Amino acid sequence: MVNVEDIKKEAIRILKEGKVKYIIGYKKSTNGSMSVPAFIESSEDVENLIWDPTCVYNLTRFLVDEKRRKAREKNPDERPVGIIVKGCDSRAIIVLLQEKFINRDDVYILGISCETTGVLDEKKLSKKLNGKKAEKVEYDEKNNFAITTADGKIKVPADEILAERCLECRANFPAINDVLFGEKVERKSDKPFESLEKIESLSKEKRWSFWKEQLDKCIRCYACRSVCPMCYCDECVVDTINFAVTADTTAEEKAQRIKWVEKSPATSENFVYHLVRAIHLAGRCIDCGECERVCPMDIPLRFLNKKMEKEAKELFDYDAGFDPDQPSLVSCFKDEDPEDFIR
Amino acid sequence: MTDEFEPRIVAFLCKWCSSAGSDLAGVSRMEYPSNVLPITVMCSGSVSPLYIFSAFNKGADGVLVSGCHPGDCHYLKGNYYARRRIALVKKLLEFIGLESQRFQMSWVSAAEGKKYTQVIKDFVKEIKPLGPQTKLRRNQ
Repeated sequence: MVNVEDIKKEAIRILKEGKVKYIIGYKKSTNGSMSVPAFIESSEDVENLIWDPTCVYNLTRFLVDEKRRKAREKNPDERPVGIIVKGCDSRAIIVLLQEKFINRDDVYILGISCETTGVLDEKKLSKKLNGKKAEKVEYDEKNNFAITTADGKIKVPADEILAERCLECRANFPAINDVLFGEKVERKSDKPFESLEKIESLSKEKRWSFWKEQLDKCIRCYACRSVCPMCYCDECVVDTINFAVTADTTAEEKAQRIKWVEKSPATSENFVYHLVRAIHLAGRCIDCGECERVCPMDIPLRFLNKKMEKEAKELFDYDAGFDPDQPSLVSCFKDEDPEDFIR
Repeated sequence: MTDEFEPRIVAFLCKWCSSAGSDLAGVSRMEYPSNVLPITVMCSGSVSPLYIFSAFNKGADGVLVSGCHPGDCHYLKGNYYARRRIALVKKLLEFIGLESQRFQMSWVSAAEGKKYTQVIKDFVKEIKPLGPQTKLRRNQ
């Protein structure tokens, strides 16, 4: 079990020594139950740091923001940023390193091993508690969560409220880190694609109606894009403002610009958007599940990415986010890549 | 005139092999269905998945990507990249429930005019029974 005091001690040390500019971690939210991201700049604030099953967020997105912010500053602080990562999040850092979006010196990674559990799913939790509010959720001994509600403390088996992705996790300890908290415990997940296979096993027409129903709900708020640590393109194909509009730009020029996807949330446009996103994340998505968590319409977006992950594994024996020196999936090839589908 | 459904196929042909192959078919007066809209691209490796989705989105009933045989790429390895990427696109389209016949890839060299006509003939024959592609098509 990871002791939060150890994390705090290390945080105080690196802040006092001036090793990092600030630390991105988790703190208690004002509503009391879930956690929120915290930016710790001084050793006094370290007290706020927490580590419990509500620390669901993938904080690596903030590294993308940090890079952008740094690029705008005149005299940027060149020290690294401290970041608290779980196993899945650490793989996101590896992908960013792999793509040379960030440098290894830009981050100081405080890795936390989830050991045999993981983080919870907010929706599953509220269902479990029948709408009661959890005041505190803690790791308990052996695969249980201890939940404190207004009516007292209850013990819940972790498997019942763990996030889907944690149940299928293949990397419960950080693949890259500067300091590691917790133990490197083997976690057996013999079926990493179990939930996906349920959809795959449906007939073609059923799969279509499933996805049509799901993606028709999309309101194109682009929350999935905003939260994704891999969606860092400066210009996105779904935005129509890819070219600068100057005073001389004629109406005709504007009208003739390539518009790949319409803004309106129609079936066809939603499909193109989500397909493009899935393909862009092929071999890069590390299954942190953030897109699905933030989706206001509860679209199971994870499956699209999971499908690509599975194909990458099966067709090309490629695992995203384990080796920073490996080239990315679509920028490399092997002579023996399958081509049975080609005429 | 019969009212038989005539599929519209968008074919992304690489400039160095497949496009030359289709030219050869043309100048050799080989007959093949006129359902194809050829688009010459510099390399099959330059075909972005977005082009493919976009073609379906704008009403294509089938999409073909065709490039040089492995080892023959004018840019040495573009078709290897294409092979990988197209495999993923194909799996993804199948996963969301699009008929797998609607999206195909072929290797056609500049000397294979005959093969090009055969690829198109087979393609048309396979997607004719499926009817128009409406799943990803934008409503006008």
